[in-house]
Amino acid sequence: MTRTRVSILAFGLVAAVAAAAAGASPAADPGLTASSILIGGTAPLSGEASSAAAVARGAEAYFKYVNARGGVNGRRITYKYVDDGYDPGRTVQAVRQLVQQDRVFALFNTLGTANNLAIRDFLNSEKVPQLFVASGYTAWGSDARRYPWTIGYIPSYLSEGTVYGRHLVKTKPGAKIGVLYQNDDYGKDLLNGLRKGLGSKAGQIVKAVAYDPTSTNVDSQVAELKGTGANTFVVFAFGKFAIQAFIQANRLGWRPQIYVNAVSASSNLLTLATQTSSKKTTTGAISIVFAKDPADPSWAGDPGIKLFEQIMKRYVPGGNLKDGYYSAGMASAFTLVDTLKKAGKNLTRQSVLKASANLNEANNPFLLPGIVVKTGPSDRFPVEQMQLERWSGTRWTRFGGLVTAKS
Amino acid sequence: MRLAWGLRVAAVAAAGLSLAILPFLVGDYRAFELGRMGIFFIAILGLNLLTGYTGQVSIGHGAFMAVGGYTSAILATRCGVPDYLTIPLGGLTAGLAGLLFGIPALRLRGLYLALATFGVAVAMPSIAKHDRLEGLTKGTTGINLPELHSGTWLYGVTWAIAAALFLLAFAIVNSRLGRAFRALRDSEVAASSMGVNPAAYKVAAFGISSFYAGVAGSLYALSNAYVNPDVYFVSLSLFLLIGAVIGGLGSLTGVMAGAAFVQFVPPNASSILDAVSPFAVDSRAPGVPSVILGAALVLVVLLAPTGAGGLLRRISAPLMGRLYTRSEGG
Repeated sequence: MTRTRVSILAFGLVAAVAAAAAGASPAADPGLTASSILIGGTAPLSGEASSAAAVARGAEAYFKYVNARGGVNGRRITYKYVDDGYDPGRTVQAVRQLVQQDRVFALFNTLGTANNLAIRDFLNSEKVPQLFVASGYTAWGSDARRYPWTIGYIPSYLSEGTVYGRHLVKTKPGAKIGVLYQNDDYGKDLLNGLRKGLGSKAGQIVKAVAYDPTSTNVDSQVAELKGTGANTFVVFAFGKFAIQAFIQANRLGWRPQIYVNAVSASSNLLTLATQTSSKKTTTGAISIVFAKDPADPSWAGDPGIKLFEQIMKRYVPGGNLKDGYYSAGMASAFTLVDTLKKAGKNLTRQSVLKASANLNEANNPFLLPGIVVKTGPSDRFPVEQMQLERWSGTRWTRFGGLVTAKS
Repeated sequence: MRLAWGLRVAAVAAAGLSLAILPFLVGDYRAFELGRMGIFFIAILGLNLLTGYTGQVSIGHGAFMAVGGYTSAILATRCGVPDYLTIPLGGLTAGLAGLLFGIPALRLRGLYLALATFGVAVAMPSIAKHDRLEGLTKGTTGINLPELHSGTWLYGVTWAIAAALFLLAFAIVNSRLGRAFRALRDSEVAASSMGVNPAAYKVAAFGISSFYAGVAGSLYALSNAYVNPDVYFVSLSLFLLIGAVIGGLGSLTGVMAGAAFVQFVPPNASSILDAVSPFAVDSRAPGVPSVILGAALVLVVLLAPTGAGGLLRRISAPLMGRLYTRSEGG
């Protein structure tokens, strides 16, 4: 035992000396040369969430497109993203590898709420920018004072929930609301938003039932909600669970007004849900959208979607041209390129961070027309505008103007 | 004779010294990776005592790692205990949990026991997220530990503990306790007719093994400086069992290979495919790394069914035998 303690002490001592030596020479920020920028990221290439890896692949394709046109201020972007299997422990290891071994300039588009929470302390203590996190957790924007090196991207789940709540107050005064939500920060963030949007009408939520992301189905939860006599069914569920919610509602013959959260509202997913449940169940479902959905036929001929298809065909041969994850990745990649341009020729981590908190980007071709990606010293929520949309049975139709709800 | 002894001491000292300076040669990140490997080494060592030596299959050791990890995180953040001091406490708490689980598990054997332990692994994330415990565990938001450690620190601490726990495992295996474990594994009836109390020894094996898992889980929490239920995800338990099988059940020497597999194969699956595949496959396409991991596992089990330990024995046995006959002849 004493030997163990002695060796721990010895290791500690040597480590301290080495750390002191390493910190002695401040030079240009890592990951930069006159002709290149190395950006790091993590994505679930394996595991249950691997379909979302298309976000990283879409971003990579956009960088290749930009590089072919000379890069940013003469620098070509290399985007190195590492598989973390959606496991936060592996995200920590991957990010240490990217920062310490590969010496990336910044982290970009790291995916998953818990995964980003796990690396936030490390990146902020190393002063490495954690840019445009691929998760709608509200804290990315609201914790800016404690974690200045971290910034989110997509509308926060809290604001999305608020938009549904306000829409209900306006259009359905007699609503009896049943909520199905995932038992984690993502589901709870949305539920809190819904309550906020309902305001004094929050009592109209007759029941909110949680499911665990490791469970196999949500059948009993949906049955329980139907049993309350609710006429409005709010689905804050991810991927397959959202589809199951539609299937089970159909099986039970329950025909409420359905709201479904944006991460589970791609055209692909709703088409699948319509095929596996029924047209009667899905028709009229309401969600929000902020990026152009490549599967939406109303965008045919739109320059942004044309650009998306051109980049996909060239850099992601064989990739699904209707997959909104790819275009979502391109949208945030567009904003990163914009940020790097703004930060100027003499890039530093500090200057990029400052640029990311000073955005005013009105021309992102992958987002809905009219959406301005805007940040400021006290506003760290890049995309805050969204639009409501209704499922017609075969496609989404947007309605109303752009709406926002401050987090 | 005295010279040979001196040589041996010099060899051990040289090996120890080179291991000690290794992190400074390979850099902090590689040291971190090797430290993480040490964590899996400890967990698999403990699992091997239970599954390899006592014949009780557990697919739930990730949950005992979680108990250790949460113990460390809670003590370090709430009570201000320096995090390295929480490592033995994490081990003890998990060991206690293992003892408690071991008692009802006595009624179960073989496949049924494996399923029950898997149940623990599946239930753990939900328990950690439960409303009643949320004040303590912070639910899915998780707990950030106060201190971030360097890879070198992790390497030193982990392998020092791993060495001590390896010696302990070695001592256990070669003691009366270890003989009782193996007797139970080979035939419970024979063992009890020889005076071995199956219940007591099985529960003891569960406790010891969970202690190892708890220490590993605690170190894992320190290495991430973060715990949440997804960090100890369900498949972690499977990975540990895979590591134990690859290392060779009932062999302590193979544990290193099992730990290396768990640490290095999943994150490098794409690069492995690029290195060995004659086809132009997009190795980074979603889902492909999982398939490679599965294929690697099937290959190992087909080519070396007794694991690395068995392979080592098979290679070394004839060599040792030849050495022996030669020295006898000369």
